[in-house]
Formats: sequence, C-alpha cells, structure tokens
Amino acid sequence: MRKEIPIALSFLAGIIMLIDSFTPGNFAPRVELSKWLIIMSAFMVGIASVNLVRIHGANVISRRKGWFNSFSLLVMLVAFTYVGVMKYSYPEVETWKVLFQNFYDYIMSPPAAVMYAIIAFYVSSASYRAFKARSVEATVLLVAAVVVMLGKAPVGELIWSKFPVISSWLLNVANTTGQRGIMIGAAIGGFVTSLRVLLGLERGHLGGV
Amino acid sequence: MIKEGTRTLLAIVLLFAGVSYYFITQTLKGKIKPYLRRIAGLDAIEEAVGRATEMGRPIHFSPGMDGFCAETFAGLSVLEYVTELSARYNTDLIVSIRVATVFPVAQEMVRQAYLTAGKPDMFKEDTVRYLSGEQFAYAAGAMGILHRYQCAGNIMMGVFYAESMLLSESGAQVGAMQVAGTASLAQIAFFVAACDYTLIGEELYVAGAYLSQDPQRLGSIAGQEYLKMFVMAYLVLGSILATGGVNFLQDLLSK
Repeated sequence: MRKEIPIALSFLAGIIMLIDSFTPGNFAPRVELSKWLIIMSAFMVGIASVNLVRIHGANVISRRKGWFNSFSLLVMLVAFTYVGVMKYSYPEVETWKVLFQNFYDYIMSPPAAVMYAIIAFYVSSASYRAFKARSVEATVLLVAAVVVMLGKAPVGELIWSKFPVISSWLLNVANTTGQRGIMIGAAIGGFVTSLRVLLGLERGHLGGV
Repeated sequence: MIKEGTRTLLAIVLLFAGVSYYFITQTLKGKIKPYLRRIAGLDAIEEAVGRATEMGRPIHFSPGMDGFCAETFAGLSVLEYVTELSARYNTDLIVSIRVATVFPVAQEMVRQAYLTAGKPDMFKEDTVRYLSGEQFAYAAGAMGILHRYQCAGNIMMGVFYAESMLLSESGAQVGAMQVAGTASLAQIAFFVAACDYTLIGEELYVAGAYLSQDPQRLGSIAGQEYLKMFVMAYLVLGSILATGGVNFLQDLLSK
C-alpha cells in the first residue's frame, strides 16, 4: 500500500488538473485541490522549520564551530515569525507593519542584493576557466564570446563596424537555434516525465518502493 | 465541453500519451529493446562519489529551486541513485532543500534508500537540510555547506535560476567534482562554464531511466524520441507551408 496509495493519489490529482486545463470555467475539484495545496504547503513549511530548528539548535547546544551564526538564525526566525503574526493579528497597529517592512527592507534585502551582485564576479572567474582554448569546441566558444563582447561594448564598433552585426547574428541565429532545439527536447521530455509520474513509473520520489 | 482553443492541444496530449503507452507496453513485452546512448554526466556521478570517498569528504546534492515539477522529479530520481552510491561507498551525503514541500519527500526517500541499502545509521537529522525559501538565502546556505564541509562532489539536478552560478562557482572553489543538470535555458551556459559535466535539457529527464535501466521507463524514452521526430517533422512542414503562404498547420495549433 506504501506504493499504490501515493501513485493513485498522484494519478487522480494529475487527471483533475488535466480536465481543468481542457474544460471551460473552473473545474470544482481543481479549485478544492488548490485549497488543499495551500494548506499542505503551510504544514510543510512547519515541518521544514522544525528541521531548521533541530539542526541549528543542536549547533548552539553543542557549541559547535560557528554556533553563533546558528543562534542568530534562530533568533531571527522567532523574531520574524512573531512580528509577522502580530502584523496579521493586529492590522490596525502601525508599529507591527513598519517593523515587518523594516525587517524585510533592512535585514533581508541587503544580503540578497549582495548575493546577486557577487554573481558578476563569479561569472568572470567561471568564464576565465571556460574560455581557455583547450579544444576545438572551447576555441569556438572563446571566439564567439569575444566577438559577442566586442559587439555589445561600444569600443567594439569603433574597432570594426561589423562587430555588432556579427554579434547580433550569433545571438539571434546561432544561439537561438540551439536554444530552441533544447527547448523542444526539454518540453517533450518534461511531458513524458510528467506522464511517467502520473502512471507511477517514475517512483524515485516515493522512496525505495 | 472542451475549452475553445485547446482542442488541438488535447489531441496532442492524447497522441503523446498513446505513443508513450504503446512503447512502454512493447518494451515490457520485449518487442522493443531501447538503447540509450552514453551520457557522460550521469556516468560521472559514480566517479564523483568515489572521489569523495577517497578524499573522506561529503557529497552535496541540490534538487533545484522549484516545487514539484518534471525537473524536480527527475532530480529526485538522481538523488535516489546518489543516496544508493553514498551508502555503497560509505560517503556522507548532504542534501540542501529550498522548497518546503520537497523537503519531507526528499528526507523520506533518502531515509528509505539508506534503509534499503542496509545502512540506516547513515541517515542523520542533518543529511537532508531545509535551508530557506528565499532564493539567495538558500544560495548562501548551500555555498556555506560547500565551503565548511569542503565537499568533494557537488551534484545539482533540477530547476535553477540566478543562483546556479553561485553554487557552481563555490563548488569549483573548494575543488569539488561537479555534475549539473537543468532544463532552465538561461542557466545551462553557466553550468557548462563552471561544472565538470552538465546534463542539458532532456538529458536530465532521462536520468531516472538511464540510471535504473528500468524497461518501463526506457520504453517511455523510446516513445519520447518518436514524438520528437513528429514535432520536428511538424516544424519543417509548417515552415515550408508558411513560406508558401499556407498557414494551415500554424492555425491548427490555436484551434
């Protein structure tokens, strides 16, 4: 039964979503399923948070290396949850709204922006490794990358007026052709994988059953 | 009864399902023996785990940034295989999760895989870790794991966004052998640049069938190839007809 019940539920849910996609209006079971999904997702966040608390709680209790980071995470987890609950429980109190927004604007957003900005440096270091002309393919990649860079940078046009034209061709024709091929293959692959999940042939996620 | 503009789509869905079903049944009867070409990225996973064993360092696995979609399911199939290898080689595995709904499923499948391999003790509370639902907070957490544990292998299979570069470059910095797989078009180039092996697009979807060599799954892959030929033929014919001013095949898709 560990195998049959999840497969039957997956099949049923998948068929409901399919019927909804092809019938006019809102298919009532699909609307109901969407509500279940929201409720179950909320429970899953709870389960995931317990995992977070157990791992970081153990770090703090055992005073493992870097335990203070775990402690900070737990404090913020509790503080953010408390402020969030208060904000929705007492919508008329301005303080909770301001505090919640400040938490987001001044604690969460700046590190996220930093992480995003780091990507620029990481792209440079990855490109440096990838663009070494070690093989014919890597050389083609290197030449194409240089031409595209020169075509996009203002100095490229000053060096040779054809750089932007060749760059655009590489991006719009050569690159798009490859991407469309990948896209079509991936779309069919995604469809067949979904079908395998619906039919219970893809069982890896059911955990060794 | 059928929503306007979706009739052709429904016919295509039924055709695809029928073809897949046909090939699955034919494979099960032994009338078709599908052959899957060698996929270097999937073969390299065992090498990555073996290398981690020799170095005495763990393997990091990420099933991507999205909830339950085809890519995540494909990623979880690879996770099942990686867990089996981890049990066989006695190598620690760390699975980092971004989506809360994926967490209990991944946790349970890793626990079961260790149990099936006869090594339930290898599953620990922190083997599967939920890091954060926030994209860059998750990335920071996974980067921290790669650096702190000096992971010898970094396997990323599923949907990825801008954090792909952060994860793969962090893996490269600690000298991890990296295998990535995604159908997210914008991220493929990043993975190709930063990882040792990359599964591109549909290669990720065949991972489960390739690794398990399960005839049912292999049959559906054979069907998938014929569907691809059908789509290619449709595209070529549609392009020729459209060039000649006949838009029948193009219009058919919106019926």
